[in-house]
Amino acid sequence: MEKSPENPPAQSARPLWTAIPIRPVHIALAAIIAAVVLVAAYERRPSLKDDFDPARDAEFASTWDKRVHIAYWEKWGSFEREACQAMVDAFNRSQDEVFVHYINASQVDRKTMLAIMGGDPPDVAGLWATNVPPFAEAGGLMELDGFMAKSGLSKDRYTPNYLKLGTYNDKTCALPTTPASVALFYNKEHFRAKAAELRAAGLNPDRPPRTTQEIDRYAAVLNEFGKDGKPVKMGFLPTEPGWFNWTWGFYFGGRLFDEENGRITADDPRNVDALVWVKRYAERYGREKLLQFRAGFGNFDSPQNAFIDGTVSMEMQGVWFSNFVRRHRPHMEFGVAPFPTAEGVPGPVSLVDADVITIPKGCPHPEEAWRFVEFSQRDGLAIICRLQGKHMPIKEPPPNFRDGHPNLELDVFEQVAASPYAFIQPRTAVWREYQHDLGTAFDHVWNWPVPEDELAGLSEDERATKVDALCRAEIERTLKDITARIQARLDKRRSVDELRRENASQSVETRP
Amino acid sequence: MKLSTYRTITGYAFMAPWLAALIFLIGYPFVASMYFSTCDYSPLKEPLFVGVDNYTELMQDTVFRQSMLVTIAFAVVAIPLGVLLALTLALFLNTRIRGVSFYRVIYYLPHLVPSVVVAILWMWMFNPQFGILNVVLAPFGKAAAYLLTPFALINPPVPGWLGLVAVIVIFAAWWKTRSLSQDYLRAGHERFKRASTVLAIVFVAAVLFALTTWLNPIDIRKIQSPGWLTDGNPFPSGLSFAPSWALWALIYMSMWGVGQMAIIYLAKLQDVPVELYEAADLDGANWWQKTWHITLPMISPVILFNVIMGIIGAFQVFTEPYIMTGGGPEDRTRFVAMFIYDQAFEYQRLGYASAVAWVLFLVIVGLTMLALRISRERVYYAGK
Repeated sequence: MEKSPENPPAQSARPLWTAIPIRPVHIALAAIIAAVVLVAAYERRPSLKDDFDPARDAEFASTWDKRVHIAYWEKWGSFEREACQAMVDAFNRSQDEVFVHYINASQVDRKTMLAIMGGDPPDVAGLWATNVPPFAEAGGLMELDGFMAKSGLSKDRYTPNYLKLGTYNDKTCALPTTPASVALFYNKEHFRAKAAELRAAGLNPDRPPRTTQEIDRYAAVLNEFGKDGKPVKMGFLPTEPGWFNWTWGFYFGGRLFDEENGRITADDPRNVDALVWVKRYAERYGREKLLQFRAGFGNFDSPQNAFIDGTVSMEMQGVWFSNFVRRHRPHMEFGVAPFPTAEGVPGPVSLVDADVITIPKGCPHPEEAWRFVEFSQRDGLAIICRLQGKHMPIKEPPPNFRDGHPNLELDVFEQVAASPYAFIQPRTAVWREYQHDLGTAFDHVWNWPVPEDELAGLSEDERATKVDALCRAEIERTLKDITARIQARLDKRRSVDELRRENASQSVETRP
Repeated sequence: MKLSTYRTITGYAFMAPWLAALIFLIGYPFVASMYFSTCDYSPLKEPLFVGVDNYTELMQDTVFRQSMLVTIAFAVVAIPLGVLLALTLALFLNTRIRGVSFYRVIYYLPHLVPSVVVAILWMWMFNPQFGILNVVLAPFGKAAAYLLTPFALINPPVPGWLGLVAVIVIFAAWWKTRSLSQDYLRAGHERFKRASTVLAIVFVAAVLFALTTWLNPIDIRKIQSPGWLTDGNPFPSGLSFAPSWALWALIYMSMWGVGQMAIIYLAKLQDVPVELYEAADLDGANWWQKTWHITLPMISPVILFNVIMGIIGAFQVFTEPYIMTGGGPEDRTRFVAMFIYDQAFEYQRLGYASAVAWVLFLVIVGLTMLALRISRERVYYAGK
């Protein structure tokens, strides 16, 4: 008789499995479970070795199997990616023991961090210099000093600021690949078109401004407004491109972080001066009008870029920018010069930054990874820096490095990068929070309402003084708040790390 | 084997895959995050127990406070507005007009567009320089500015007093209308019609007066060509707690997806028994009376459902502001979900982010319970 739920089997000593009626659905379920288990059991971890493309990798076919294959995660896109690939190809051709697989990854820092957390990091990771302190502090990167000593790769060959970017607690955790410094890009066509007006204002149209006071005066002549008073073309905007809003204080002699004493110095009076200077632009030309004007700018990498299409005459930009200008407007006449500093502030001043190459801790092939990192530093730098249109992060580039180099403004960027007044992003583990707060402070100062009738009918000088009088106290308060907030965050982080170290040492002591 | 045991085993066997996912993919992170919220935990370091440190820090965190205010302001404005708009749309889609199926599809379509695409699309539309919104709104903005300017130029007390007078008139008219409406039942509807027209005019005037007490010349200038996502100033500017222009932009944009809510209303609307309307027709009820006394009570469970989903959704807003404003200007569009993301993935403070997530969870649970409590006597369940 067929068993059914309505007619359950009588209670007996029969084993449980015999008591359950077998139906097709049970067999199907069991088959699915079995299939899942089988797939899981026989699932093979994807191997880099399997990524062989007969067309792409034909020249490596003979040595493919005997090589150690390592993964290199990088961030680049477009022609910058091709430059990086060229460096990787050169390495793969230079020997037949290691093969580097270049893997392009967006948000490479987060992915690398998660991969390190998960215990399966890539062999080599291309990060940003700002990632070095938090990664190194958490022990996520291998120290490279030992490798460097063994390979005879001297630290002296590097431009000091670039080497410093990869150093944390006096240990080298990353090495620079493509460096960056920033300077003033100015539109020579605009200067020429307004030469007479510039001369009339006592300015030289054949050279760029050298001080922030001069840049204000040049900008005032180069500005153009429509009938409705809205800007059509602006000589200079401290909000453009918007990536460097936190750096203005350095051009007034300010500092953001006292590394020796571990103190946040956002409220440095010279940082206040810088924001007063920014605020004068907001009030002189209309804070909302300028924000709306800026909202109409095209994408950075497009012909509608505000500098490339001639909407803004002067702009702070990095070494990479020449590539984009020439790509979108090949015949544009532009010049590059150190960015102006405030009267009496020594220069040239420039932000120095870099993309760095690292070996994550826990990677499967550290030795092979180092072989590639070493190649990138000896022969690779020239390849990638030339193809990306940048200078090299070392003191003495190879003699033929400049031959056919696409970036004709390298001298300026090398000069500002080597300047004793060049600065790097504060190397503290709370920098990202600090940067966020500085960005918010910039917006706050820009938007801080100054009653229009207070400024009506004043001359430019009187207006500048009035803005200073009305806004300085608020700027000081804002920067003091940031200093207190970030310092508290930093102090807390330090005390927690201290506690963590104590716990670690206690657990070592109590271990039998 | 007992029948009940057999059935239990079978039931759990079928539930097992889902149950496993619930326990391992939701249950474990849920419990773990509770523990991590009491730890200092950076992804590359071992979690270190710090007690309630994260929670005390949270109470003093000005950015968290700001993000909470932004989220609440969004919820307070966007949820009622969304419910109202969806309901209106559903009532319209429920009518017997030609091509109603076409409209139903059209209004639901926006919901199918991925939120990243929507965000980019609206960024263009909100662009103050060349966005279509300012081009279309400019004439209306100019007309409104023309109408409002005289009020704004008067010092606030005068429109304030006028507002008070208008409010008194409203109450008087309302009181009068009540008695007239009783008359209407006996005598006829002409006088009621007149009184309700007066009421409507006075009401609109009062709202206008109330608005002008907040509007100032700067606001009037702005409504002609708002800066939308670039403007962090509150609107109306007299109210510091009012949403910023950037947040208003996100609120308007959130109306883009009301089609989905409208479809849910529509399903319920079509479930309302026709005999109730027939009975109302026999009693001489008009459209509004039928809507107020039959339709709304009958679909009230769905309204409650949409409000609760709205509350949960408002506290989880992330993609659009992340793409469109990045939380700016001045953190005026930094929603709590963005704050959590920043703490966890930008600053690597997983412990602190867990604490914020738990506070957010409790807030959502609290608000949901409040909504259920308030609705207890206002929602009609036919099955009960």
